[in-house]
Amino acid sequence: MTMTVATPPSPARGRLTDRQKDIVQKFAALGSLLVLIVVFSLTSNAFFTVNNGMTIALQVTSIALLGIGATCVIITGGIDLSVGSVLALSGVVAALAVKELGLAVPVAMMLGILTGAFCGLINGILVTRMRLPPFIATLGMMLIARGVALQITGARAVSGLGESFGVLGNGALFRIVTIGDDGFPTVVFPGIPYPVILMVVIALAVSLMLNRSVLGRHIYAVGSNAEAARLSGVNVAGVTRFTYVLSGSLAGLTGCVLMSRLVTAQPNEGVMYELDAIASAVIGGTSLIGGVGTMSGTFIGSFVIGILRNGLNMNGVSAFTQQIIIGLVILLTVWIDQLRNRR
Amino acid sequence: MPNGAIAGGRIDASQPAAAGETLLSLENISKEFPGVKALQGVHFNLRRGEVHAVCGENGAGKSTLMKIISGVYTPTSGRIVYKGTARSFASPLEAEALGIAIIHQELNLIPHLSVAENIYLAREPRRGFLVDRKALKANAQTCLDRLGVAIEPERRVRELSVAQCQMVEIAKALSLNAEVLIMDEPTSSLTEQETRLLFKVIHDLKASGVGIVYISHRLDEMAEIVDRVTVLRDGRYVATDDFAATNVDEIVSRMVGRSLEEKFPERTSRPTRDVILAARGLTRRGAFHDIDFELRRGEILGFAGLMDAGRTEVARAIFGADALDAGAITLEGRQLDIRSPRDAIAAGLAYLSEDRKAQGLAVKMPVDANMTLANMDEVSNRFGLIDFVKHAKAARHYIDLLSIKTPSASQPVRLLSGGNQQKIIIGKWLFRQSRVLIFDEPTRGIDVGAKFAIYQIMDELAAKGIGVILISSELPEVLGMTDRIAVFHQGRIAGVLETAATSQEEIMHYASGYGPAGSRD
Repeated sequence: MTMTVATPPSPARGRLTDRQKDIVQKFAALGSLLVLIVVFSLTSNAFFTVNNGMTIALQVTSIALLGIGATCVIITGGIDLSVGSVLALSGVVAALAVKELGLAVPVAMMLGILTGAFCGLINGILVTRMRLPPFIATLGMMLIARGVALQITGARAVSGLGESFGVLGNGALFRIVTIGDDGFPTVVFPGIPYPVILMVVIALAVSLMLNRSVLGRHIYAVGSNAEAARLSGVNVAGVTRFTYVLSGSLAGLTGCVLMSRLVTAQPNEGVMYELDAIASAVIGGTSLIGGVGTMSGTFIGSFVIGILRNGLNMNGVSAFTQQIIIGLVILLTVWIDQLRNRR
Repeated sequence: MPNGAIAGGRIDASQPAAAGETLLSLENISKEFPGVKALQGVHFNLRRGEVHAVCGENGAGKSTLMKIISGVYTPTSGRIVYKGTARSFASPLEAEALGIAIIHQELNLIPHLSVAENIYLAREPRRGFLVDRKALKANAQTCLDRLGVAIEPERRVRELSVAQCQMVEIAKALSLNAEVLIMDEPTSSLTEQETRLLFKVIHDLKASGVGIVYISHRLDEMAEIVDRVTVLRDGRYVATDDFAATNVDEIVSRMVGRSLEEKFPERTSRPTRDVILAARGLTRRGAFHDIDFELRRGEILGFAGLMDAGRTEVARAIFGADALDAGAITLEGRQLDIRSPRDAIAAGLAYLSEDRKAQGLAVKMPVDANMTLANMDEVSNRFGLIDFVKHAKAARHYIDLLSIKTPSASQPVRLLSGGNQQKIIIGKWLFRQSRVLIFDEPTRGIDVGAKFAIYQIMDELAAKGIGVILISSELPEVLGMTDRIAVFHQGRIAGVLETAATSQEEIMHYASGYGPAGSRD
């Protein structure tokens, strides 16, 4: 046994302020994102193109939207395992509202989002009023929401929803198409898909809420020390419920987007998506203990996952291997985070 | 790298030596962290059968020194001689194996395990692969008997009081054949009675030849057990004295590096007849009954009593943190209907809890965010968005007003000292324009200089017409700072005493349930 090995970590090491650490974390995540992009650009010709960029952005939307909700819930010290099931239920409700009730598409989708919000509200009540651990409350909701989705559809996909149902998921802004001499249309610019616009707007709004609003401050306070927050007059139960409702609503929205993209509602959609959402938050530096997390971090985290998937696909890596790699990436990032925070 | 490194587990077979023999000595110890000299040239030695106190303000280097003795840190330079052999402990386990045990301020027991299981954790007597439960219980019983404390070895630790947990920790140390015992603030959460019991145990340990390193902020109680005292200041060695040859004032002036004429500031506020807060018949079943008191403008009212006498419980109930079963509270003549801390805060009440880290502060958040947390409306617009200019101004104002020492307003509060943390909480309530502040053990774990500053702030608040209630287990503090004292006993107010006309003895008399002493009312 040598002395050098036994020298304990000194508390003075890494004398960075939390703000500096935050920046280091962001650059580390951003850096790995850039590395991924460079590597995949070199290994695949089709990777670094406008078209593929938009494809990735589109693929990332569901992870990011769910990740935004997950981040808020995790900052309060909770967890939401139900979003994958809730998005399926919401999408199915929206589809059935169009098909069975003949509602207009926007109204039906609003109903879908409300379904998500309602599931979130129940999660919030289970956690704050009935004092169930968030893990258990949302685990129950995960099973219930999936079960209801399968029940009301008879476990069959709902199709024949009409073209307008597909607009939200497939439409794009600034799409430029020219008709060539041969009479076939040529896509000059694929446009920015509506879901991507939605994702960016919501991420900015939630970021503003977290950083600049009283509500955001209270969310961090609840996660940092719920009792101190309560004794400072913060409505802890209300704030906590809000985060679950937000997470549920975003799950509802994600459900509508996903089902719209396929123009078919699948009650089996979104299985295990909650784990992608949590992973994106964690890769982005959100602490599962609560009190710590940023929108920008989660945004980067969801792109890391999205780009990994896309790039590995383009390089012909099998889905199984992809899972292994993404699993390793999660372990690696959180381990680095731990090293950084060790004092 | 010193040569005296441990050769795996070889322990000299020294016979039990006479009391007074030097057990442990640290010579010229320095410890540097990048950019910080935590200790410079510190000397310390411990004899068999003595209690040696280490005193110093927060940040003086006490913890670093203890961590070096207990093997958590290795010194940058200097020599450690333990039982005549130069040593260097590579880890706490190694120090423990050689007979050096530490009892931390935050106790390290596992609540769900029994007393016996805690004492023998990771050293359970075995029979094959299974734990020998009989031997476990018997061995634990022997340890507890040695201490003379009546704790069932089979009770779950979570059912024990803090004092009992401490006894279990000591029993655990004894079971390790500890010859050096480090006690870090052992009395900080004990009642007077429990402290008596602890001191009796310490006396017995001394008699059996154990050397005890004793760290405490409560200098007043040291006279009873401490033999010698070493003072540190700013990481440097100041002096070591026989306790009998020095006095508290001298120790304090060495700690702070200046002479402190008074431990308490001159009171400038004078109580008036004007009642700010009145409580009538407050009752919470199982906690307190029929609590009546009046708090007057300009007055500091003390709540004295033993632990669990109901002082904190009454404060929490007034603040809406726990529900009241009966009773009425009036603030400046208005009857209040308080159902939650939010109602109480809106009415102008503030409660500074005894456990700052668990209940007072969002420790991961910065100074400014903590300061404004109770009054976000004041620093935000009608859309609920924070006005960062106002926010920064408010934080700066109270940082300056209360002389809070922090590198910046964005420093996370967990990195600040206890005194500065307490000031941040005070700042939070001042910013909220609170009319009544209830301080619950405001100086616990805070160094002498910072205590004085907190007392001054309390006096200034009272002078400004803010009602101040001081809950404290330290009688000198209650006597030094208050105008009147409500003494609690088993959930009732046993008597309200004029501070100027009472004494520690009289307060203790009421607190232990004997009612008025002699002919006094």
